[in-house]
This record gives sequence, C-alpha cells and structure tokens, in this order.
Amino acid sequence: MDKISYNKVTKDIVEQLSKACNGHVLTGDQINDDFCHDEMRIYGTAMPDVVVEAETTEEVAAVMKICNEHEIPVTPSGARTDLAGGPVAKYGGVILSTMKMNKILSYDVDNLVVTIQPGVLLNDLAQDALSKGLMYPPDPGEKFATVGGNVSTNAGGMRAVKYGTTRDYVRAMTVVLPTGEVVHEGATVSKCSSGYGIKDIMIGSEGTLGIITELTLKLIVAPKATMSMIVPFPTLEEAIGAVPKLFAAHLNPQALEFMEKDVVIDTEKLLGKEVYPKTMEGVDINAYVLVTFDGNDEDGLMDTIEAASEVVLEAGAVDVLVADTPQQLRDAWAIRSSLLESIEGNTKLLDECDVVVPITKIPEFLTYAKSLQEGHSYTIKDFGHAGDGNLHIYLCSNDDDKEAFMKESDEFMKKVYVKAVELGGLISGEHGIGSGKMDYLKDFVGPVNMRLMRGIKQVFDPNMILNPGKVCFDPEEDYTNE
Amino acid sequence: MNILVCIKQVPDDSVEVTMGADGKPAVEGITPVVNAFDTYALEMATRLKETLDDGSEITALCIGPDSAKNSLKNCLAVGADYAYLVNNESVDETDAMGIAHILKGAVEKLVAEKGKFDLIFTGKEATDVALGHTGIYLAYRLGAAVITDAMDLEVKGDRVTVKHETEEGHRVIEAPLPVVLTVTKPAYDPRYPTIKNKMAARRKPIDELKLGDLVAMDQLTAKIKTVSEYEPPRRAAGVKIKEESEEESAVKAIQMMVDAKVL
Repeated sequence: MDKISYNKVTKDIVEQLSKACNGHVLTGDQINDDFCHDEMRIYGTAMPDVVVEAETTEEVAAVMKICNEHEIPVTPSGARTDLAGGPVAKYGGVILSTMKMNKILSYDVDNLVVTIQPGVLLNDLAQDALSKGLMYPPDPGEKFATVGGNVSTNAGGMRAVKYGTTRDYVRAMTVVLPTGEVVHEGATVSKCSSGYGIKDIMIGSEGTLGIITELTLKLIVAPKATMSMIVPFPTLEEAIGAVPKLFAAHLNPQALEFMEKDVVIDTEKLLGKEVYPKTMEGVDINAYVLVTFDGNDEDGLMDTIEAASEVVLEAGAVDVLVADTPQQLRDAWAIRSSLLESIEGNTKLLDECDVVVPITKIPEFLTYAKSLQEGHSYTIKDFGHAGDGNLHIYLCSNDDDKEAFMKESDEFMKKVYVKAVELGGLISGEHGIGSGKMDYLKDFVGPVNMRLMRGIKQVFDPNMILNPGKVCFDPEEDYTNE
Repeated sequence: MNILVCIKQVPDDSVEVTMGADGKPAVEGITPVVNAFDTYALEMATRLKETLDDGSEITALCIGPDSAKNSLKNCLAVGADYAYLVNNESVDETDAMGIAHILKGAVEKLVAEKGKFDLIFTGKEATDVALGHTGIYLAYRLGAAVITDAMDLEVKGDRVTVKHETEEGHRVIEAPLPVVLTVTKPAYDPRYPTIKNKMAARRKPIDELKLGDLVAMDQLTAKIKTVSEYEPPRRAAGVKIKEESEEESAVKAIQMMVDAKVL
C-alpha cells in the first residue's frame, strides 16, 4: 500500500461541515492563531483549514462521518495545554474543538460519580466537586486543561502518589469513532471483566483512536483536612533519599514533590513571594521536598506530620516547616504549580522530557542528565514528583538558533531516554508522545509493539484520518502494508 | 519589651462569599483563619523581638468564638509567647467601639499580670468587614498614641520609628512608647512555623479571659448598625480587541477609553 495522502478541505466540504454542526465552524481569519500550536511550539506549528466547535455528540459524529468519507484529517483539541504537540493539526484539515462541550451534566452522589462533557476544565470540575464535599483526585499541574485532554494523555499530577492517575477515575465514556459511529465504553461500576477493555485503550490514546464526548468519572469523599510540610535539604541526594523512608514508615502522603533551589528562586521572583528558605541554621539549602498529607481529623493529621518530620530529619533535612492554614498551603503550592511557567518565562527555546524512573534512581538519573549540559549552550532545569519518580526535565536556551538547539536537544533526549530505560523507567510518565516524542517511542518499544499499536489504530480508524502524525502513526513514514 | 498583638479570626478571604437564604453572608462552611493583616502584625512584632533579642515577649489576644483557640495556637507557633481568648459567643451584636471596650478591659487585666505593654499591634483592618476602626478606637480608649498603616518599625530606647504607608509611598513617624500600631502589608511575608514550634504550640495552653470581667455589657451596644448586606454586582464581560496589528489594537483600546471618558 502506498503512503496515505489526505484530501483538501473544499468549499463544499466546509458547507457540509457547517450544516452538520449547526454552523459552529470557523475558517480563514476566523481561526485564532492559538489553534496552530500547543504549549510546546518547538515541535512544530500548523494551521488547520477548519475549526469545528462542536456542542454535542451528534455534531461530532456528523463531522467525523463527513471527514472519513472525504479522507480529511481531523485533530481533536481541548484547551491546547498539551506538552508534546498532540493537538497540532500537522496535516491540516479539521480541528475538532471540545471547548464548547463544557458542561458538568450530573452527579450521582450515592455512587460517587460525576458525568461531564469533555471540555470541562480540570479546575472547574475540582472546584464544583469540592463544593459538594467531593474530590476528583487527579491533580495535574495545569489546572486549565480540559478533563477530556487529561483522559487522552492519562494525566497524572501531584496526587498520583496516593490516588493514582486519571485512568483510575474513568468509569465510562461515550466515544465517536473516526467513522462517525458512536460507542459507549465502561459503566458506572467499579469492576469489569466483560471483554477487551476498550475504555482503557482510549485512555492515553491522545486523540488518535476516537473523540471522547462524554465521561463518567469516579469521585471520592473529600478529606476534611490537608497539611503540607516544606522540607529543606542541603543536597538533592538527601532529599530523594528521604522519600522511600517515608513510605517505609507507613506514611501515605497525598503528594510528594521535589524542587531544586535555582528554579524555586526564579519562581518566587515571578510570584513576588518568598516561601522556601535558602539557608537555615547556617546551612545552604539546595533542594526541597514538599509533602502533603490528608485526613479527616486535624489532630491525627498533626500526629502524621510529626511522625513524618522525625523521618525526614533523620534522613538529613535541616528543618521542617508546616503549612496548615489556607494561605500557607496556597503559597507553598503556588510556587510548585508555577515552576514551569517560570522556566518558560526565562527561556527562548525550550524542550522537555517527562521520564519516569524508580524513585531511588532519581538522583542517579538527574546527575547523568545534568552532566550532559557541559560544553553545550543549553542549561538543564528540573523538578518532579518525588513520590512516583516522574521527572520534568527542561532544556533551556536563550540562543536564537532553533535548528542548532533542536539538534542538541535530540542528542540529549536520545541519551537520557536510554538512561531512563536502563534504570528501569519509561520515556513519558504523563505528558504523552504527541508528535514530539514519536521517534523516541519507536526506539523504546521496538517494532513489534509499534506494529501492535498501529494495528489497533487501524481497527479504530480504517482511513487513518484521526490525529495523524501522533503517537504511533505518521502518514509520511509509517503507512505501509506491513 | 512587652508586646501585645490583637488578632481577629475571619473567614478565609480567598473564598468568594455569597449571600445565604437568611440575607446574611454565608460564611459557615468557610475555613476560619487569622486576619491577614493581623498575621503581618504578628510577623512584624516577632521580627522586632528577634532583633531586640532582650527577652521581649509577645502576647496574642483574640476576641472570638471557642474555635479561635486554633488560630491562637497558630500564633503561638510563629512568635507569640502567650495567647488569650475572650469568648464573645454570648454577644449578639457589637461594633468596633464595643470591641475596643473589651480590648481595653483585657489590656488592663493583662497589664496587672504582665506589666505595661510598650507596643500594641493590630492589623490595619479585618478582611471580613474591612472598616479599619478597632486599632484607632483602642488607642483612644487607652489614651495611647496611634500610628496607622505601619509598614516597618525600629525601636530605640523608649521611642519607636515607624514607616507609615501613604498613597504615594511612606512617611516616617516617631513617637514615645507606648504606641498602638495598625499594620499594613510589609515588604515580607509571615513565616511558616517549624515543626518544633508547631508541636510546642500544640501543647501550650490558651488562657481565657471572661468577658464579664472586662467590660460592662451596656458598653457593647452597637452604635453602628448594619442596615443591609448585599453581593457586589457581577463584573460585565470584557471586550476583546483584535485588530490587524498590535499597534491598531492599542489605538482602538485608547479610543474606547476616550469614548467612555476614562481618559
């Protein structure tokens, strides 16, 4: 079979699309520049020919049917906060935005589930659930991403160490397949042994298999209290060394993050707040662990904080600061949540990786990654989820030569991905593959796994129109009759 | 030096307050916290204590419900040496003048125990009602000098030099002690308690002063009555300006402000 080629969007097709979705179609100058990129422009930008702002499952199905029939590529899009190029219309065609499908449809409080449309923002769902005494546990750093986008990348976030990732909270979904057929996967129940887990294949598929138009998500009863500890350490090694000891002491933190001093200082400048100590008792602080515990009894929680403090002090912490008022919690976590924004603000050219390694291997991995910057124009900045070994590493350059930077970055990424795998890790913990990491995925999973993934894609998407150039299939390279 | 910091417990001011069915602000479910300006006052007092390093002591005082003991424990964890609560749950309604009467009674009671206060700190206002009266009325009742909107201070001998915030910047005011200070946001943030101080504060007692021992109940009758409370009108949606170029967008924005007589 030859390499696939897509058809152009003609005036007639635009009219058909407009008719199919009640005129919710943008073309030409009506399309905002934001639709040409996500948060990582470095992986390429591309304008779509048409943006469809669908409002119902039926509209999505009608659009997919037309595009499938005419072999027009379709790229699903949420709030475009992706970090791997996923929502960029690499081959033009249609962007199908779910941003107007943003309603929280219903709660079933007795069964602890909520049903929403995919364009609901994570922040809105979290706040709304909290107002009902419930919690949606997944807590990725980007609060203004859509929940549909979170499901599509199986986003993790800060609370994954205790509560797991987005996958653990998806009970059911409605999906429009690339052919325009509508299917329902999963149910409002906690167990499933009913055939292949198609719902679970959809989760983390980055909009390459179908378009999610409705989600039923598991909630938990919100813990009554949370407390955090800011734990300063002289070295990163000591900071990470404390993490397994917390688990060994039967402590079960809700979140467990690490940060290094230079990024914290930049972020505090950005926010105009000074929260994290730089020296204590005459000791220079170079790394911090930020730990949160939750529970239903403040006294019990304070006992937990005391026990955890003993563990970290024994492990080399200089002291422990306690954050238990709303303001203290907000400020301590605002710094953590703004680390990426601060790095972006101070950098002209940026590339990133979000490898996940066994917790005990974090220092070895970071030492290796940082050693690679010697003799190069880039610098390495990092932070991450100490509790699950998911690291966010940024290559930062303020040079103007993008081509040279991309070459350096490619060399860097190849080396660190090999190292991550060698240490028993994976190449992406939560940001996904998109277009930016496709080549590395191939190297990592090997040809058999790539064949399986493409085979799955072809079953869902016979004409290979949905989000081409992402994850496992690029029409310019991969479409053969293997 | 003997320092008093007066604090008020208020609903967490980051939470949007809506009106309840009874026509009053629905604050029951909102976490109670120490008024932000009072946390600045305590931090300023604690820094002064650390600078003087002469055995100065800080007493925190709160008029509030029993739950305010938790707020006082938080004060003990970040610099206060002693904490006192005046339980006012029996008082239906009073105003800043009534509160100043209670505070005066409490100050006199504490002075009998601990000696004269050299400095009395309050926040410049509470984030719930934001009137900014209490510190000034208290100074009046005590017959003490008052310096409002303090951003920073220095004590030399028996005089205090205070940076008083103004619209344009600040002016420096000097006064002989004792002085009542109302504190605005300084250039620093309140500290986080260390685990050691937090645990120590947990074990320290919160002493109670009985309201009836401090004030005659008729002094609490509110002279200022709240006539009604209502939510502010919602802000109208903004206007998106998207001209061909940034320059044209700026010109259009300025023209719109001229038309609206803002400029």
